[in-house]
Amino acid sequence: MMKKYTSLLVFLALVFSFISCEKVIDVDLNTAAPRLVIDAALKWEKGTDGATQKIVLSTTTGYFNQTIPKVSGATVFVTNSTDVDFIFLEAVPNSGEYICSNFIPVLDETYVLTIVLNGVTYTATETLNAVPSIDKIEQKDNAGVLGTNIEVKFFYTDNGLKDDFYLYRHQLSTYAVPEYRVSSDDFYNGNQFFSRYSNEDIKKDDTIDFTLSAISEGYFNYLQVLLDIAGSASGGGPFQSPPATVRGNIINTTDSNNYALGFFSVSETAHVLYVVQ
Amino acid sequence: MYLKTRLLLLFCFFVMTSGFAQEKFTLSGTISDENSNETLIGVNIYVPELKIGTSTNAYGFYSLTLPEGTYTFEFSYVGYQTIVEQIVMTSNVKKNISLGSGEQLEEVVIMEKSRANIRKAEMSVNKLSIATIKKMPVVLGEVDVIKSILLLPGVTNAGEGASGFNVRGGGADQNLILLDEAVIFNSSHVFGFFSVFNPDAIKDLKLYKGGIPARYGGRGSSVLDIYQKDGNSKNFNINGGIGLISSRLLAEGPIVKDKGSFLIGGRGSYAHLFLKLADNDNSAYFYDLNAKLSYKLDDRNSLYMSGYFGRDVFKLAESFTNIYGNSTFNLRWNHLFSDKLFSNLSLIYSDYYYGLTLDFVGFQYDSGIKNYNIKYDFKNYISDKLKLNFGANAIYYDFNPGTITPTSNKSGINYRKLEEKYAFEPALYLEAEHDVTKKLSLMYGLRYSLFYRLGQSTVNLYANDQAVTYNETLKIYEKGKPIGTEFFGRNETMASFDNFEPRFAASYALNDNQSVKASYNRMIQYLQLVTNTSSPTPLDVWTPSDRYIKPQIVDQVALGYFQNLKDDAYSLEVETFYKTVKNRIDYIDGANLIANEALEQVILNGQLRSYGLEVLFRKNTGRFNGWIAYTLSRSEQQTPGRTATEIGINNGNWYKSAFDKLHNLAITSAYNLNDKWSFGANFILQSGQPVTFPNGQYQYQGITIPSYGLRNEERLPVFHHLDLSATYTPKPNKKKGWQGEWVFSVYNIYNRQNAASINFRQNTTGANEAVRFSIFGAVPAVSYNFKF
Repeated sequence: MMKKYTSLLVFLALVFSFISCEKVIDVDLNTAAPRLVIDAALKWEKGTDGATQKIVLSTTTGYFNQTIPKVSGATVFVTNSTDVDFIFLEAVPNSGEYICSNFIPVLDETYVLTIVLNGVTYTATETLNAVPSIDKIEQKDNAGVLGTNIEVKFFYTDNGLKDDFYLYRHQLSTYAVPEYRVSSDDFYNGNQFFSRYSNEDIKKDDTIDFTLSAISEGYFNYLQVLLDIAGSASGGGPFQSPPATVRGNIINTTDSNNYALGFFSVSETAHVLYVVQ
Repeated sequence: MYLKTRLLLLFCFFVMTSGFAQEKFTLSGTISDENSNETLIGVNIYVPELKIGTSTNAYGFYSLTLPEGTYTFEFSYVGYQTIVEQIVMTSNVKKNISLGSGEQLEEVVIMEKSRANIRKAEMSVNKLSIATIKKMPVVLGEVDVIKSILLLPGVTNAGEGASGFNVRGGGADQNLILLDEAVIFNSSHVFGFFSVFNPDAIKDLKLYKGGIPARYGGRGSSVLDIYQKDGNSKNFNINGGIGLISSRLLAEGPIVKDKGSFLIGGRGSYAHLFLKLADNDNSAYFYDLNAKLSYKLDDRNSLYMSGYFGRDVFKLAESFTNIYGNSTFNLRWNHLFSDKLFSNLSLIYSDYYYGLTLDFVGFQYDSGIKNYNIKYDFKNYISDKLKLNFGANAIYYDFNPGTITPTSNKSGINYRKLEEKYAFEPALYLEAEHDVTKKLSLMYGLRYSLFYRLGQSTVNLYANDQAVTYNETLKIYEKGKPIGTEFFGRNETMASFDNFEPRFAASYALNDNQSVKASYNRMIQYLQLVTNTSSPTPLDVWTPSDRYIKPQIVDQVALGYFQNLKDDAYSLEVETFYKTVKNRIDYIDGANLIANEALEQVILNGQLRSYGLEVLFRKNTGRFNGWIAYTLSRSEQQTPGRTATEIGINNGNWYKSAFDKLHNLAITSAYNLNDKWSFGANFILQSGQPVTFPNGQYQYQGITIPSYGLRNEERLPVFHHLDLSATYTPKPNKKKGWQGEWVFSVYNIYNRQNAASINFRQNTTGANEAVRFSIFGAVPAVSYNFKF
């Protein structure tokens, strides 16, 4: 929860140093040997059957490379607690995208992911968490830190009986990449709370695609580090916490030292498409 | 019982060693400025016949005990005319001296005439007078005490705009910063751009980097001892300055002529200055107030009362308010038991407050630390060869890790008060300054410190006492799950520590102009600064040692060579040091430190080591003077796994700390052209800050994530800048009434775009880019200072 205030402080520091300047520069970087990346976030949107799911396999590559190498030829399946296997197949060859069309999501069910690639087996386990619905949406036109931005708040009501962790995804129609944030109910357990989205580019008639996902504590911890690194990935600076490799919940059962990046998660989601007024 | 025995031993030692002085007489007194009666710290008193000397203490007091006879005494101090007097010592003599500020000398001696101290065992110490600091060119013309010490060897910080400073590769939390003996927890205004000390209110400062005397304790790496002025007890006067960032005004004068004085000073920055934003309620400013009352009751007793209050305030629209700052108050009583036994009793209060209000989430956060300190220090001038320092102090701490309050009844935030933490830190010390022979001087002492973490509190208990668990299959550290709790009542001891801290320094004079010195000190730090960033932010939280968080143990050895050349016109100081820190905390990945009630679940104990070579070459006299400071050093951290199967942080490897600067060169110079014009220049050249650059990227859920190898393997580009200043005094001969001076400066004159950071990010089109962020280009400034 405090993460975003830290970035606010960074912002403040920038405002204060009115003589400061930012410049895109060339930096020579080393490239490490490629490592398998497993992007396996299964989402069950409220009101759908959740049968179609996707898992993407790729590898790491040089930081400035334009294309991400995909991984084909893997055996991918997810097993539930009654030993039913849901098979994921690479529908388009060499796309690295493995699709399943008969997945059965059940709240609080535990799922196990298995991936076999070149004789190496990777597994991960996760439980499907329930998510509250989106109660209401509020828009404010003179908001933001400087009072000049449009701000949209998406409200939901937290379950007061347990500790909950959330992932917010905001996709502005004019942006190429979505913005993710995580939140824990530490400070608002049992209350109505909101995800707030605001920046200087939001205009009337843009759409904001908002998804609220209920996530596990492990996934929350993982995303907190991951998003920090993705958002302010940095070499230095006074507000910088040291970047590090982020290990997910995927275990290489063949050779535990040769770990894969990424995470296996299963979440119920609430989704809304909001047109800016 | 144990404690009592130790106390008794210390006392016996003191009594035994004090029984030697016989058939000798003592010259003692106070040395002050003849115009203001301001006491002078560190005035040299030298007896050429015996080749011995002493210097005044922090209260201007000196005492020298000699065999019967007639001697010449030289009283000399930077920028003052030396007084030479013949004194017949057939009885004890009381001699208060007023030194004239020798205007004729001033044009020759601008920098400290700081011949390297050859005979004293004291080493790794730098003194700066406020006059020197005021002549240095600084960014935006804002005279800055903290920035000035960065020009000394062995001192760096995490970069421009980073708060705090790092001494000999230690953390910024390891500096004991004292303002009239009161602890300052955050030395910066505006996130580190300016320091909290109003230069007009400051008399002197002393930085101990090693060989730290036993009277100081509580922090691991250094002591920055800053003395406020007492105030002029002869005449009323006002001085001040108008600058681009802030204005200052300070008034001082007698309450009772020659006996009592007051000083009150204020400094404030201009609101809205930083934010060139129209039609908004944004404001950002800082201010501070310094006040002091001094009263000389009689020849044996003086009272001092001093205080400081400073705040930074940021407001952005209605959405964000951030206020933080220090306040201190202290009361001191100097008492002379005899002309050989000086004492000072201090009652000190200091606190640090941090508050943050975020209206757009309906969230208010307040945190802080308060401490109450009682301190009794003695200095016994036993003979010309032996001085004893001893004393005791006790600090009571009250930490407020955070109170979270909803800002309105519409807010979704729940009220929550994190448990307050209490601690008690008493300490005793005894130390001798001992001139064993004409050539060999020793300083040896011992500090005995204790620390009690006090209730009321409920402590989590963990299996095997491990609050952080290691997940063998995922190879990550995780928060431990408490298996129970233990309740401690109000003032009940929850954890306690006690440590002996030996201090030792020796100097061996090869001849009148050359000496070698060695020192060792152990320092114990019972407070930890909880921060996950490379330099302190105002949001940082202090926490006491407890069941899970162990005190930092710092050991340092240093060797040095000191030489004065060409009749003291030049001096050379070369020192080398090696320092280790045990129980340096590190954090598991993704640790959330703010408002965290179970910090032990995210903290691992690591260690830090640093070593280096420092060279300081000064030109002390002439129109053109200054110094060259060069430091070659390394500072590294390691957090190994606790068992053979754990990976530790950074795979358990040593890695460079964020303030590792392999090379650090600082050149400071001043040139006095004539009475009207003087010039200053600084040049700084240092290795870039260690950083971690990505060694790859990958995609996850539609966003690009950089991937990293080992920590701090790369460096930012080399950091350098040249700064110039010119001071113009229109009427240099005017000594009464309005006197003014203009200071013109340019920081970073050749507009070097030094990288404060290099960020790697995905831009809005989805492509990856590296972005250099630099803070200060060339910055011209002008300020006007006045007094009347």
